[in-house]
Amino acid sequence: MSTEIFGIENVNVWVDGLIRVLLIVGFMTVVVMGLIYGERKILARFQQRLGPTRTGPMGLLQSVADALKLVGKEDLRPRNADPWTFELAPYLVFVPVFLGFVIVPFVLDWQIRILELGLLYFVAITGVNIVGWIMAGWGSDNRYAMIGGMRAAAQGISYELPLVLALVSVAMVVEVPLADGEVARGSLNLNEIVASQHEVPNIVWQPLVVVVFFIAGLAELNRTPFDIPVGESEVVGGPFVEYSGIRWSMFFLAEYAALLIMSLLFAAVFLGGWAWPAGIFTDEDWPRWAQALLVAGKASIFVFMVFWVRASVPRLRIDQLMGFSWKILLPLMLAQVMVNGLVLVYDWPEIILTVVGLIGIVALFAMVDRAVRQPRQRPASAAQLQSEAV
Amino acid sequence: MVVEAPSEFETQDLLINVGPQHPSTHGVFRMVLEIDGEVVKDLVPYIGYLHRGAEKLCENNDFRQGIGYMDRTEYLAAHNAELSYVMAVEALGEIEVPERAQWIRMILCELNRISSHFMFLGAFGIDVGVFGTPFIYAWRERETIIDLFEEISGDRMMYAYFRAGGLAWEVPANFENRVREVLASAQQGVKDFDGLLTENEIFIARTKGVGFISAEDAIEMGMSGPTIRASGVPLDIRKTEPYLFYDQLDFEPITANGGDVFDRYIVRLQEISQSIDLIGQCLERLQPGPITPERMPRMLRLPEGEAYIRTEAPRGEYGVYMVSKGGNKPHRLKVRSACLSNLQVLKQMSVGQYVADAIIILGSIDIVLSEVDR
Amino acid sequence: MKGILKSMMVTASTFARKPVTREYPESHRELPERDRAFPLLLWDEDINEPFCTGCHACERACPVECMTVIMKDNPNHTAHDGPSKRRKIIDSFYIDYGRCMRCNICVEVCNFEAIAMNNTWQGHETSVYDRSDLVMDLPQLLAESKAGEIQEWVAE
Repeated sequence: MSTEIFGIENVNVWVDGLIRVLLIVGFMTVVVMGLIYGERKILARFQQRLGPTRTGPMGLLQSVADALKLVGKEDLRPRNADPWTFELAPYLVFVPVFLGFVIVPFVLDWQIRILELGLLYFVAITGVNIVGWIMAGWGSDNRYAMIGGMRAAAQGISYELPLVLALVSVAMVVEVPLADGEVARGSLNLNEIVASQHEVPNIVWQPLVVVVFFIAGLAELNRTPFDIPVGESEVVGGPFVEYSGIRWSMFFLAEYAALLIMSLLFAAVFLGGWAWPAGIFTDEDWPRWAQALLVAGKASIFVFMVFWVRASVPRLRIDQLMGFSWKILLPLMLAQVMVNGLVLVYDWPEIILTVVGLIGIVALFAMVDRAVRQPRQRPASAAQLQSEAV
Repeated sequence: MVVEAPSEFETQDLLINVGPQHPSTHGVFRMVLEIDGEVVKDLVPYIGYLHRGAEKLCENNDFRQGIGYMDRTEYLAAHNAELSYVMAVEALGEIEVPERAQWIRMILCELNRISSHFMFLGAFGIDVGVFGTPFIYAWRERETIIDLFEEISGDRMMYAYFRAGGLAWEVPANFENRVREVLASAQQGVKDFDGLLTENEIFIARTKGVGFISAEDAIEMGMSGPTIRASGVPLDIRKTEPYLFYDQLDFEPITANGGDVFDRYIVRLQEISQSIDLIGQCLERLQPGPITPERMPRMLRLPEGEAYIRTEAPRGEYGVYMVSKGGNKPHRLKVRSACLSNLQVLKQMSVGQYVADAIIILGSIDIVLSEVDR
Repeated sequence: MKGILKSMMVTASTFARKPVTREYPESHRELPERDRAFPLLLWDEDINEPFCTGCHACERACPVECMTVIMKDNPNHTAHDGPSKRRKIIDSFYIDYGRCMRCNICVEVCNFEAIAMNNTWQGHETSVYDRSDLVMDLPQLLAESKAGEIQEWVAE
C-alpha cells in the first residue's frame, strides 16, 4: 500500500508512518525540554524571583544541562529490588505517553494516524500509565515508594472516570456533516471534533465540562493540588525515590510529555484547535505555520493555568482527593451527560447546554464549600486510638 | 453448604522513619511512625542531633562572653534569647537599665517576633504543599527585617547586641524611619499571606480539625506560646508577668477557640499584626537618653544567688535559670526551652490522624531544633 | 472554590511585581558601615607600624579562644631613636577564622583600637580549599589596612 506525504507520492505506508513518528518524537523532545525550562521560569516569576539565568543566555540551556547531568549519574539499583518490575516500570510509564501522540491533531489533516476511535484510544492508553506507577512503587523495595505507588494508583483510577465522562459528553454532541447534507451527532474522531468547532468552540457549550476536565487532567498528570504521590515534603519522590539518572529522567519526561498531550487535547477538543476562528479552509487560505501557531497558543493557555495552580494551591490529602472525585465530580459529570442526551434526543436549542453548564459550575463551587466547612469525619478506630494515647 | 468468608484480612503495621534527613522536619529531628494503612498508631520522637553543649560552654565563659552562645540556641529569634540572659544577669547583679535601652530592646524583640513568625508561615506553607510561594514571600519579608538588624548591630542572625545593663552601642541615626519602612513592608507581607492561604479551601480542608489539643491537656503538658493560645488559654507572659515596659502598652493576648492546626496558623498571623502595632506604640514613647548605666564595671562579678527570668519568645516561654557563686562566670546556666515542652504533645496530637497530617502537625508546633537540643 | 481563586489572584499580583533577586556575584549589595565580618588588624600609617602592641587583652576575652598573640620589644621605640611611642609591638598574631564567632568582644576590650571588624565584602568572601588556610597570620591580617581599603567603624 502506498500513500503520499508532504507531496511525495507513492510512499510505502510503513515508511510514511515511521517518518511521522520520528518527526513527532523529535518535536516532542524539544518541546518537553522547553516546557521544563518554561515551568521553572514561570513559577519563579510567580514567586517574585528569577528562574534559571546562568546556563546559556537567559538560562535557556538549563534543560540540556539537567539532561547531561542525569545521563552522567551512576545507575543505582537496590539489592532487593525485584528485577523485572524495577527495570520495566519506566518503560511502562513512558511508552504509553508516547503512544498517545498518535492521535493528537496538530494542523489540518495532519496526525500520525487519523483514527476513527481517537478519543477511546487516548483514554485506553493513558490507563496503562497507572500500571507502570504501581510497578515502580512495588519493585523498589522501599516503604515510601510503595506508599507513593499505591496512592498514585488510587488517584489515577479515581480520576479516570470524570475525565472519560468529560470527553464523552463533548463527543456526544459533536456535529459531523455527512455526504448527503445530513448532520450526524457524535464522533470520537478528533479531526471531526476539531472541524465541527469552526464557528463556535466547545467551551461555550460545555463550560462545566471544561472545568472538570481541567481538574481531572491535573489529577491524571499528578500535578498540584493532586501531587501527593510525589509529595516532596512527605514521601520525598514517591514511587521514583529509588531511581536515579536516566531511569528517573524517563519518568520526568513522561510527566511533561503527558502535560503536552493533555494541553494539545484541550486545545483540540475545547478551544477549537486549528478550526476556530479560522473556519473551514484549505492550506492556501491559512498556511500551516499559522495553524500551528494557533494551536500552540491555545495549548499554552492550558499549560500556563497548570503552572499557575501549582504556584498557588496546597496539596490535597489522599482521602480528600478521592472524596472529591467520587462524591463531587462524578455526579456532576453524570448529570451533564444526561442533560446532553436530553438535548440531543428532544432537539432542544443548544443554549440550554450553556445555561446548564454555568449552573453546574455554581453547583460545583457550592458543593466544595459545603464539603470544606463540614467537620472532618474520622474513622472510629482513629478516635479510639486517640483516646488511648492520652 | 455455606462457606463463611474470612471477616478480616491479616494486616501488618508499617514502621516509617521520618529521618533526620528530611525536607520537612525543620532541622535534624527524627520520628518513627507506626502506621496502619494511612492512620498513625504510634509516634516516637528522637531528639539530640543538634546538641552542642551550650549550657556547659556558658559555665566556662563569663557573663559577657556567654551572649554569643545564647544567640545560637535560638537562631530565629536571637534577640529574645539574649533578652532572657541579660535580664537574668541584671537580676542577679541588681543593675539598673536606662529607659531608652528598654524601649529599644522591646522594639528589637518585637521585630524578631515578626521575622520568626514569617519564617513559620513560610515553612508551614511548604509543609502543606504549596510549591515554594509562601516560602519566598516569607523570605522577602525577612530580608527587610534582617537588613535593618544588620544596620544596627552588624550581623544578620547572631546579633550579640544586648549587654548586661543595656545595649552594646547606640542605634544609627535613621533608626525610626527605617523601622517604619520595615513595618510598612511587613504589613504588605501579612496581606499577601492572608490572601494566599487563609481562605483557600484546600488549606482549610487540610488544617481544620487536625491535631486538636484541648486547653486542659495543654496546660497539663506545660505548653506555652501561640500553641497554647490557639487552644483558648490567654497565657501571654507579656501580660501575666510584664517585663521591660509591656505594662505600659495597650494590647490583648490573641487567642482562638479551636486548638487545631488552622488556629495555630491564624494566631501567629494575627500576632504579626499585633507586633506591628506594638512597635508603633513603642516608637511613640522612645526618648533620647543613655543606653548603658553610668558606671559599668569592666569585668562583671555577681554576688551569690540564683535567678529565673522568663520572657515571651515567639515560640513560647523561654526561661533562663542562672546560679552564681560569686566570681565572673555562672556556676550553672539552664535554659528552659519552649520548643522542647511544646514538642511533648506531638504524640498526643498525631495518633489517630493520617500520615500526611503528622507532618503538618509537626510544622504547626513551630519548633527550631537548636532550642530543643541546645 | 472562591478561596482558591483568591489565592490565584494573589499569585498573579506577585507575577506583576519586579523580581527581588540580586544576581550575585556580578552585583554585590552595599554593606552597612557597621557590618561585622571577621576581625583584622589596623595599620598606623603615620609611623608605619601596626597599632597592636600584643597585650593579650583580646586573646583572653575571646569566648572561643581563636587567637594566638606573641609580642616583642619594639625596635622602633624612641629609646632606640625611632618615632614610635609603643614599647612593645606585635610579633606574630594568628586568628583562626574557622573558630571565630564574630561576637565583637575583642574589638570592645582592645585598649589601643588596634583590631576592628572587617566591614567590606572581602571579609565575607573568605572561602578556601583547605581548612588550615583559614588560620590567618600577621601579614594577612594587616594586608587590607595597609592598602588603605578599610574604613572601620568604631562604636562610641
